[in-house]
Amino acid sequence: MKHLATIFCVASLMVALSCSTVMGQDQPQRKVTPVKPSTNTVLTPPKGTDEKIIQQYLTGDTAQARAQERKDSLARIYPHYPKLTELWLGVNFGDALLMAFGQKYSSFDVHATLNMWNRFQPHFVLGFGRAKETPDDMNFTYTGKLSPYFKLGANYNFLYKKDPQYQLYAGVRLGFSTFKYDIDNVTISNPYWGEYESSFQLKGLSSSALWGEFLLGLKVGLTTQWALGWEAKFHGMFKESKNASGKPWYIPGYGSRNGKWAFGISLYYTIPLNRDRWPVTDDGKKGNRNTPTEAPSRAPVPVK
Amino acid sequence: MAKALKNIAFTSLVACAMLLVGISCNDNCMGNSSGIPLAAFYQDENLVSLNNITVYGVGAPNDSAVVRNATVTQVYLPFRITEPECQYVFDYNVDGLENDTITFNYDIIPYFESRECGAMYNFDIKEYSYTQHSIDSVAVPSTRITNSDVVTIKIFMQ
Repeated sequence: MKHLATIFCVASLMVALSCSTVMGQDQPQRKVTPVKPSTNTVLTPPKGTDEKIIQQYLTGDTAQARAQERKDSLARIYPHYPKLTELWLGVNFGDALLMAFGQKYSSFDVHATLNMWNRFQPHFVLGFGRAKETPDDMNFTYTGKLSPYFKLGANYNFLYKKDPQYQLYAGVRLGFSTFKYDIDNVTISNPYWGEYESSFQLKGLSSSALWGEFLLGLKVGLTTQWALGWEAKFHGMFKESKNASGKPWYIPGYGSRNGKWAFGISLYYTIPLNRDRWPVTDDGKKGNRNTPTEAPSRAPVPVK
Repeated sequence: MAKALKNIAFTSLVACAMLLVGISCNDNCMGNSSGIPLAAFYQDENLVSLNNITVYGVGAPNDSAVVRNATVTQVYLPFRITEPECQYVFDYNVDGLENDTITFNYDIIPYFESRECGAMYNFDIKEYSYTQHSIDSVAVPSTRITNSDVVTIKIFMQ
């Protein structure tokens, strides 16, 4: 009898619970909001967010807005400069500077560089060089007459994602020069035979040279259009015309024949090309006119 | 970025200046300062030393000798630079052994070697003759005499 009473109670309880569940499904669910009254805020986009993206968010087109944000973000990570980014015109006055340190030859050249995609940079040089040297304790005066030289080559800019004003690049050059030189005031003595007054001069000697250069360079913007650049070059001779009276000491554009290293410093004037197609940069100075001057760098944040 | 690049640029400028100074200080002439023939003595293709030998040029002032009563395996024989010919006598200082004489005829070539070695005369040997008292033969492997410090005249002894 006692067991029957217990079973009846349990069955009644189960029936009551099942009934309350069925009845509960018919009633409206309680809404849960993530916004507490004390922290009720409005989501606003970061400063500089494209108005188009904001409108897309406001109209509920979040997928399109996020796609556009992703596109802008990729453009920031992988900026794509146009094929013809800019043209540089420069003058190399490194030798003029080094003459102050005792260098006895000088060259002066103008060069043009086409910056393509802010990465590859074909380069052309036209210059003139001369030399005048009477070394101490030596028996001659070397005069390298003013002669032209040409160089053709290209650079690769390692900072191609950055503002073109600042560049770190490696390059190759092929140089050529045809030139004339004199050897004067040569005095030779031959003590054993008692011959002390022999002298000669070699006038109007001519030669030509073809050489190659590897270089590392830096270009630093001074203003929007003016920049300074430094180059350290390692060079070697490919071919030179033989001369029965000796090899030249100075080769215009190459420098001293025995030197393996050369140094250049240049002043550049920059002519921007297709600037309206440049990507946005960190400082926003050279932004694309068709894109926002500052792309969003973070998701919309809540403000009170 | 800009500041870092400017620092790198300044550093590289100083480094290059130091490099240039260093390079300019290391230039040396690797040969002689004039074109001069070097003669060596051989016997059966082997280098041989001659004892108590005196070598002098015919017509040299004050009877000066290139080497005098010395033991040598090789000797420099400077050519005259005002005449296209010179003679050298090899005195063995041995009783009953006659001296030998080598005569050289050559062209004198003004030549600019390099900034470090300077301008000098080179010589193109046109012909040469010798006596054969103790000398078996003379060979000139290269007729162009430069400032290179290599044997240019081989004297084979009997």
